[in-house]
Formats: sequence, structure tokens, C-alpha cells
Amino acid sequence: MTADVALILLQDGIVSGAVYVLLATVLVLIFSVTRVIFVPQGDLIAFTALTLSAFETGNVPGTVWLLMFGATAAMLLELRQAVPQRDRARILRSLLRFGALPALIAIVAVFLVPKTAPLLWKMTVSCALVACLGPLIYRIVFQPLAASSPLVLLIAAIATHLGLNSVGLHLFGAEGVRTEGFSGQPFSIFGIIVTQQAAGVLASSVIAVVGLYLFFRLSLRGRALLATAYNRRGAELVGISTETAGRTVFFVAGLAAAVSGLLIGPTTTLYYDSGFILGLKGFVGAIVGGMAVYPLAAAGALLVGTVEAFASFWASAYRDVIVFLLIIPVLFWRSVSSVPAEDGLE
Amino acid sequence: MTRRLIALAPWIALLAAALLPLLLQAYQVTVITYVMIAAVACIGLVLMTGIVGMVSFGHAAFVGLGAYVSGYLSTQLELSPWLGLAGAIVAASAAAALIGALTVRMSGHYLALSTLCFGISFYFLVGNSESLGRFNGLTGIPPVSIGAVELRGERQTYYLVLIALALVMAWCRQLLDSRTGRVLRSLRTGPVIAETFGANAQRYRLLAFVLAAVIGAIAGWLYAHVQRFLNPTPFGLNASIDYLFMTVIGGSGQLWGALLGAGLVTIIKHELQDVLKLVFGPTTRLEMLFFAAIMIVVLQKARKGLWPYLSQKLTPRAAPVAPVDAVVLRHRRVKPEHGLTVLSASHLQRTFGGLVAVDDVSFDVKSGEILGILGPNGAGKTTLFNLISGALPRSKGELSFLGQPLSRVSARGMCLRGMSRTFQHAALVQDMTALENVAIGATHLGRCGLVANSLRLNRVEERQLLGWAQHLLERVGLADKANELAGNLSLGHQRILEIARALASDPVLLLLDEPAAGLRANEKAVLADLLNSLRAEGLAIVLVEHDMDFVFRLADRLMVMNFGRRIAFGRPDEVRADAGVQEAYLGVAA
Amino acid sequence: MKKLAMALIAGAAFIAPPARAEVKIGVIVSATGPAASVGITQQRTVSILPKQLGGQDVRYILLDDASDTSTTVTNARKLITEEGVDAIVGPSLTPNSLALLDVVSESRTPMISLAGSASIVEPPVDRRRWVFKTPQSDAQMASVVLEHMKSKNVRTVGLIGFSDAYGEGWIKVMSALAEGAGIKVVASERYQRTDTSVLGQILKITTQNPEAVFIAASGTPAALPQTTLVERGFKGLVYQTHGVANNDFLRVGGKALEGTFVPSGPVLVAEQLPDDHPAKAAGLDFVKRYEAIPGAGARSTFAAYLWDAQLILNKAIAVASDIAKPGTVEFRVALRDAIENTRDVAGPNGVYNMSPSDHLGLDGRSRVMTQIVGGGWRLVQ
Repeated sequence: MTADVALILLQDGIVSGAVYVLLATVLVLIFSVTRVIFVPQGDLIAFTALTLSAFETGNVPGTVWLLMFGATAAMLLELRQAVPQRDRARILRSLLRFGALPALIAIVAVFLVPKTAPLLWKMTVSCALVACLGPLIYRIVFQPLAASSPLVLLIAAIATHLGLNSVGLHLFGAEGVRTEGFSGQPFSIFGIIVTQQAAGVLASSVIAVVGLYLFFRLSLRGRALLATAYNRRGAELVGISTETAGRTVFFVAGLAAAVSGLLIGPTTTLYYDSGFILGLKGFVGAIVGGMAVYPLAAAGALLVGTVEAFASFWASAYRDVIVFLLIIPVLFWRSVSSVPAEDGLE
Repeated sequence: MTRRLIALAPWIALLAAALLPLLLQAYQVTVITYVMIAAVACIGLVLMTGIVGMVSFGHAAFVGLGAYVSGYLSTQLELSPWLGLAGAIVAASAAAALIGALTVRMSGHYLALSTLCFGISFYFLVGNSESLGRFNGLTGIPPVSIGAVELRGERQTYYLVLIALALVMAWCRQLLDSRTGRVLRSLRTGPVIAETFGANAQRYRLLAFVLAAVIGAIAGWLYAHVQRFLNPTPFGLNASIDYLFMTVIGGSGQLWGALLGAGLVTIIKHELQDVLKLVFGPTTRLEMLFFAAIMIVVLQKARKGLWPYLSQKLTPRAAPVAPVDAVVLRHRRVKPEHGLTVLSASHLQRTFGGLVAVDDVSFDVKSGEILGILGPNGAGKTTLFNLISGALPRSKGELSFLGQPLSRVSARGMCLRGMSRTFQHAALVQDMTALENVAIGATHLGRCGLVANSLRLNRVEERQLLGWAQHLLERVGLADKANELAGNLSLGHQRILEIARALASDPVLLLLDEPAAGLRANEKAVLADLLNSLRAEGLAIVLVEHDMDFVFRLADRLMVMNFGRRIAFGRPDEVRADAGVQEAYLGVAA
Repeated sequence: MKKLAMALIAGAAFIAPPARAEVKIGVIVSATGPAASVGITQQRTVSILPKQLGGQDVRYILLDDASDTSTTVTNARKLITEEGVDAIVGPSLTPNSLALLDVVSESRTPMISLAGSASIVEPPVDRRRWVFKTPQSDAQMASVVLEHMKSKNVRTVGLIGFSDAYGEGWIKVMSALAEGAGIKVVASERYQRTDTSVLGQILKITTQNPEAVFIAASGTPAALPQTTLVERGFKGLVYQTHGVANNDFLRVGGKALEGTFVPSGPVLVAEQLPDDHPAKAAGLDFVKRYEAIPGAGARSTFAAYLWDAQLILNKAIAVASDIAKPGTVEFRVALRDAIENTRDVAGPNGVYNMSPSDHLGLDGRSRVMTQIVGGGWRLVQ
């Protein structure tokens, strides 16, 4: 292997890794607030690209039906609780949140996104469609399961993934898509040819992760969310309900997935079932970070991306064997070194 | 009556299962055969994930290992499938021991992910192996034969699988009901209980890992010779996830849950297609959506899984269990002479980072004596406690037990030497009965190993251990609660139960961490009587307690701590008179 | 929940009593799971299959195996024991077809597989006596590719394929046959269908400077290696397999695919075939019917294999129904024999002439070389 091959592989690994970083960050975030390992995050990424592609070919994306179906289900669930209580405010809220808002987005998606619309507008609507799926999934699947064991939540997350996968095949078909990207000539830095898309992925991922960081460190709502992560009951005492926290964090997850989907859509082919393997790589990163430490999760995700690129070159038939066996020593080191601080202090 | 019925239930189920093929169509027999193969695999996962708490994303790889070893031996080397079974078990044990040696040391998510790593690696290793048929698969695997009879037809393989399932189920039930099983069942709460009562938690975790792998390999062997074709997809990550699904849906801590979960998941997956066809037409592809929806609803309705949910609906009260005859241990530890120093500590120190939690503390405790340790919150009492009991290593200082210096202290080692303890926050296994919890305390008194415990060669010992536990329950006044689940007991009873468990290890020194906290006045009086009688028997007792009246009335000597240091040590009246104590502690409290 | 349980029971117990003697054909395809892209085209083809074959009424019972071999086996057992089918068409995949060898031979049910590997029907004795297939075997297709390469004076080739049965099958025969053709394989790489980057594999290939690259993949996932090759500035020839023959592949690959050579069954370019080509009429007929299915899009060679199977069964059922009644072992035996005696059945993928030693029965007329030109398929003369 020559040095320039190594450099190209490194670049490829880092670009793949950048997407995993965003994924890992979101997975850690969701986990720390809700104890859910959100396996379907990858599916949402794939759905974004598939949605955008449908707009590009002038079709109504299946996501619209998924959104309407999910919103109706969520609204019914919410009303079933609110109506017997005669809680007017809650009824109104649920009608707005799960009725009017999704309906509005759906109407826009069906009628106001012609094939000739500018790319940015198509991207925005795709983002909105997918980001709204996040809170719906939370309402339908996870809110009724709050306070279950992490294992049960994980199984529910996997079930959600299977369901989304099945819907994805039904709505989008088995074939893949490659969306339009910000075209432009590749440029060169230190003698490496960098495509603009690759640079865009990297930059956007960094911006998204920093944005998440700022949101959770500086904004009041973000800090409140983190508070629920540390002490649920305490947070409830100061007026942040678990439900609000869950909904918000799932919305953030949906948004991050949408951004990731727009980023990688033009660099590769995405399928209805691409999400699982993407999610898995993000999951590896998240766990290297102990489901808690963001920088380590990011480092883990980058490591996965890079090892993957090099393993593809060295022994492609055994790539996943190499990637996953190399992870194990890292896991071992992390597990042994992160024994929870002795609770010996009274 | 009910008790007998419940005891007979497995036999009735087995009889019903044996008659089933006579009533069903061949296809239904096939589906149930696959259900039972999956159930065998899931039993392994119940052991590892449900009971011990190690989540595995790689279980299908062990199923595949068993399948491929036997498949390879019976096709390439043309050996009998029975030798294949032996090969599968040996290979799975070896692989699991090797992988487990690294993996079981990890905790939580790390362990789960590393099993996933092994699982994925297995898939690609097999898929790229020429002698295993690569991704195309291995054909022509012979059926299992008994004598000259080849088990080819649906009904023949059904009985083969049924017998295997019944044996594996009976084996696991037997094992879980034994000394070994009780330790395994305690591990989901963490290694602390096992270690405190003399069991090597890591070894037991490894044992569970290996057992799960072996049971998985047995399932794989069945699969290979029923299907008679192998390719990597049924052993990939999706299959591992399926097994986890079945286990959790069925009720992850329950052996019967494995069967229920495997049945539900497999049958829904097979039959959903036919049902949806009636609604959506023949080209539907939405099976998995409906499958997922059903699973999520089941989880939302029955979070602990279907088996616990159903068994609670059907029999809301705990099943009555045959009473155990109380016996006193045949070989008890020789108690030291009255007044002999059991434990002495000099200049103990423990620091956490820059913080000194215990600083230069010296004391001793004699047999037939109750030593009280007092101090405000944060005084370092519990840390001191953990230093003595071996739960924490000390930074400095000397410890000696019965005159022998202790260089390295581990919880396990201290238990074997004759020390036993209770915990500040009752550390009981909630879903085991009071009797079984107490019997965990006697773990190190048993000798029967895995083989004896699997083959029911342990009956004499079991009668001893459980009888001893029953004796202690009677002694602490909880005999009538013997068969209640520990989690259903009141807080007060849980604390008393912990003392019974600590006594079960037949100690010479008993460390009690705030045993009176949360007890009502009458319960405290009973506890005081108990401690008095234990002292009279020559036990040395260290008592950390907040309730000062309780301590002052009981203790022969007292040590008072503040800010990690010993500020007073002596008889209760001396300590009460101590000016420093008055100022630092009693003054504050008063 | 309760209703669903009842529906489940009803579904499980639902066994329709046959009104009169009709031929039952079980169809097993992989319409979901990793091979969905292949299976879906076959799944929808079932709706255009003729309601009568060989003068007999036919009922098709369609099952999806979710690309999973265990499900294939239970599906097959269900078709055989519960539905009493006279023949099975499918499964779509090689491992799944291999998984059924014992099941169909023990129950004496003829099966026409829709999967590629020759190992399904070779040798056609013992467990394979009851098994036939319609797709050209990998080796037959590979020889077309290698001949074309030789005609273009290609001396070195890099291979990249799916890390599954499809890719494995192709790469195995390509590697074995290339040597005989005097072509050196300089790299042999694998990737996964859902990979988001294949840069590592492509770099490995391009550093060896092969004169041609052969991509063994199916459907849209086959585009990624090629777009990556173009991005890396590869100037040599690129070959794909007939698995890519659908419009989605052309859409996803776009300009990067221009000039690619694709070996295929004649159906892909039915319109361009010379009028005397025996597959032309059957191909055009199939294309017309298939493309009329709502939402089906352009033709698929995978779907055409199912059509071929139907044509073979049409003749065989006519023969077998003179000997025995459908639904009996005698009928199935007669049907198997009749299929084995298939003569000159022209289907969209070529002309089938089976024999006891050849359960595929395709000759040179079953494959053509095409090239992607102007976003469409063009027959290479």
C-alpha cells in the first residue's frame, strides 16, 4: 500500500466515520434521556434519502403516508387518554401536535413540491417529514414503555426497526436511490483530491455535533433535557416531564437523521434496509463511549469508519470480521477502565 | 391438590406434546418442530441473558457452530450424527470458554456488543469457508438415525426434537434449582451477592456463557439434521436478534418463557402471511410490520414477558411448595473460644482520589462480643465496612483475622475464612424465595458441582443446605415466609432475611450494616433478641447503626467515627462520657 | 388482540377443499429480506400467469420465504403436505433452492428453481432427480463474458462481487474459467449490498491496473462499484451480470454506466433481436404482459425465469394429465418425466431442451451480450 492510497482510504474512512459520529452522538443522547438504544435511527436516515429521491422523480414519497398513519395512531392513543379525563388542553394539544401539524406537512409534501422545485426546498420538506416521525415513534412505541428495563426498550426498538423496514419495502420498493447533491469540482488539499460532497459531509457533521452540544449546554430546554438524563424525578419536580423530554429528544434524533440522510444520499446508494448496518456502526461508536461520553463515542465512530475503509482494501471478504474483532479489545479496555466509581462514599 | 397439579404440569405438557403429531397435519408438525428447536436455543439464552443478565447478540453463532460442526463431520468425514453431537458440544464449550474468558469480564453494553462482534464474525468466516460450502451452503447432511432407523419424516424428527427439548428443559430446571443455580440466579443483581458468599462470580458467569453456548449448539445440531441443509443466513445477526426477541417476549427469566416466546414468534411469522393474504391480497410484503406491531403491543401489556404475565393471570398466588424439614448443619465451623480476638484492624486507611474516606482507624472485635460503630453520615462507616469485608481494597494499614494477618482481602476469601455480612440496602434476589435467598448464604458449604447438580446426585446435600436455610428462617422468625418471593417481603423482613442469609454461611464474625434501619419498634426488639442470642453462642458481631438507643443497649463496646477518623473507642458508658464524642456527634444529634 | 388471535386460528385452519381436479403449483419467492429486489419481480409475475396450463385449470399458491432458508423449507413442506401441490416453482435464491433438494425428492414433487447456480441441478441424479431450473447457469453466462473479453483483447480482469451466494457463485466460476480463457484475475474483492462505500475494494482493484472489471451484483447495489470506478478515473471495460437488468439500476448509476457490457437472457433486448431468434416472440409476449402490470416498471430477467418455468410446465402438464390425475403421486411422477423430456420450448430466456443428464437445457441461444448505450440496453452483434 502506497502512501497516497493510505491517504485516500483515511479520507474515505473519516467521511464514513463522520456520519457514524452524528449517529453515535444521537444514540448516546437518546439513551441518556430515555434509556432507549434507538436502533431505527439508521432507518430514518435511509428514509430521508428515499423521500428526497421521490421528490426528485416527481412522485409523492411514501413517507407522507407513513407520517399520516403514524400521526393518526399517535393522536388516537393520546385522545384515548385525554378524552375520558376531559382534559381540554391536552385534547387540543394532541389535535394540533398529532393532527394539524402532520397534516400541514403532508399537504405541503403532496401539493407544493413539484418536480421542478429547487433542491433546497425538496430537502427542507424531506427533513420535516422525517423529523416528525421521531416524536411519533416515541409516542406510539416508547412512551407507554417508560420505566421498562433497558433490555425491553431495546427489544421494542428492534421491533420498531423491523416494522419500519417492512413499511420501507412496501413504500419505497427494494431498489436503491442516489440523491442529488451539491455538485462542484473536487478540489485538492495537501495533494489529496477531496470531493465537495465529502467536504460537505464532514463540515455538516461537525456543525451538527457542535450544534447539539451548544443546544444541550446553552439553551434552557437543552439543559432541562440533560437534567432528566441525570435525575428523572428531580426534573419532574421542576416541571420537565419525562414525556416532554422524550418527545423533544426524539425530534432532535429525527432531525439529525434527516440531516445525515441528506448528507450521505448523494455519495452512495441507499436502500429501504440500509439503515440497520448504518445504525449498527453508530451503535458501536456509542458503546465505545459507554453510552455516556460524547467525545469517546465520536472517537469510536471515527475508528470504525477508518478501520472499515482499510479492511475493505486489505481483505474485503473478511472486512466485517476484521472490523468487529478489532473492536473487541477496545471494548475490553473500555469496560475494564470504566468500572463505575466506587460507591463506597456514604 | 394444586401443588400436585403444578408438579405434574410438565409431565402433562410432555404427554400432550407427544400426542400432538397424531392430531396435526404434517406441516403443522414441521412448524412445531422448528418452534421446539428455537425453544432449545432460547433456553440457552434464558440462562445467559434472562437469569444471569448477560445480553447476547451472538447466540445464533453458537447455534450455527453446533450445526456446522456436526454438518461438517457428518458430510465431509461421514461420521455418525451422534458423533456430530459430541463434536458440536465440545466445539461450543471450547469456543465459549475461549471467547467467554474475555467477554464475561465486561459489563453491560460492552458485553452485549462484543457478543455481537463474535456473532457477525462467525457469519462471515463460515460464508468464506470453502469446506463449509461458503454462502451457498452445505447439502446432503444425513438424518439422525437410531439403530437402523433413519429419522427422516416430519413425525420422526418431531419426536427427536421433543425429547431433546424435554431433556434440556429438565436439565436446566434441575440445575437452576441447585446450589449452582442459586448462584447463577443471583448474578443478575451483580457479582456482589455471589462473591460475598464465597462464589467466584466471574467463573459462574463463564459457566453460564458456556452452558448457553452448549445448549445453543444442541439446538444447532437438531437444526442441521432436521433441515439437512446449512447456509450462513439462519445464524447471522438477524437470527441472534430473533432469539433475543423470543426470549424477552416469552419472559426472559423463565425457562417456560423460552418455549412460549419461540412458539409465538415462529407461529406468528409463519401464519401472518396467510392471514394478511386474505386482507391485502397475495402480493403483500407487510408481514413484518404486523409482526412488529404485535410484539410492541405484547411488550407494552406484559413488560416482563408473556409467561410471567400469563402465570400471574392464571395463578395469582405463588404456587405452594413442599415444606422443607429444618436441619442443623452437620459439620459446623468450630467457634473460637469466648473472648478471643476475631478481627483486629490497625491504622486502616482508604483514599478515593484525593479524598481520605477512612483515616488511620484501629479497632478489634472479640468472639461473643457486639462492637457498635457509630458516626454521622459521611463519617466513613460503610467504607470501613467494605475494607473489612473485602469489598474494597485498603490503601494502608493491617488487618488480621483469628490471629492470621490478611495481606490481600477479597469478599470471597473473607467468607471462606468465616466472615459474613449484610448490606445497607438490602441486596436480595427479588425473584427468589426467602428460603432460596438464605440458601445462597450456604453456597460455600456445598460440594456438589455442575455434574452432580445436573444429574440430581445432589439430593442429600440439597436437603442439608435447604434444611439449614429453613432452620435459620425459623430462628429469625420468618419460617412462615419461606416460600414467598423476597421481593414481596416488607423492608423489615428483608433486613431480617439478610441476617439469616449471612448466618447461613456459618460465620464466626458477622458484619451488620444498619440492620435496624426501617424497622418498626417491635421488629427492633425481635432483632435485638436475635443478636443477643447470637452473641451468647460466641459469634463476634460488628454493628454499624444510626439508631443510637439500639446500639447503646446492645453493644459491648463502641467505636465512634467522624470525617473518616476514629474519635472514640470503648465501653458504651465511656463513649457516652467522652467529651469529643459529645461535641462532634452526640451534640449534633441532640 | 383477541380478534387477531381468532384471525390467526382461522388462517391456520383454512384449508380450501378442491372443487374439482385442478393442478396446484406452489410458487416460493424471496419477496422480502435481502433478496427482495429479485423476488418482488417474480412475486408480481404470478398475477399474469395463465389460469390454464396444458389444458388443465391451474391454481398458484404463492409464498414468500423472506430470503430465509428455514422459511423456504417450512413453506415447501406446507405446499407439499397441506396444499398437496403438483409442482413447485422457485425459490429465487441458490441456497434456498439447495435447501429443498431433500424435501422435494423425498416427497416426489418436481421443482423448477429460479436461481442461478448450476449446483442446484448438477448432477441430476438422486436428490436432484426432481429438480430443474430455468435461469442460465453462472458458468454459461460467464463464458459469454469471457468470450467477449477475449474478443476485446482483455488480458487482465479485476473481480468485485456481493459477499453472498450470488457474488460468490459468479466469482467462483469467473475465476475458474478465466484462466482457461487466458485472462488473468488480478484482484477478487467482495462488498455488501448495503455498503455505503466500496472505495477500499475499488482502490485495491485499480492499483492492479486491470484492463477490465467484472461486477457480480444484482439490482441497484451493482451501481456503487461502478460509480466509484468512474470517480477513481478507471478507463478500462466494465462488465456487469444480468442481475442488474432493470431500470432502477440505470437511474441510480446514471452516466457512470455508459458503455458497460451486460450479458443477459435475450428478453432484455427482445425488440432488437433478429426476427429469426427463437426467443424473440416469447420475449415480446412476456414483456408486453409484464410491463402492463400496474407499478411493475420495465422488464426483469428474473421475472422472465418464472415465465419460462410456466411455459415448460404448460407442455409437461399436457403430457402428464393424460397419464394420471392431478393431486396424485402418479401425476407428479409423470410430470417430472415430462419436464425432463421438454423439447424446444422457446421462452423469453432461450430454448429449453431437457434430458436426464441436463435439467436446465439451455443452449447458446439463451444468452446475448448487451451494452448500456444512451441510458438503455443495446444488443451487441
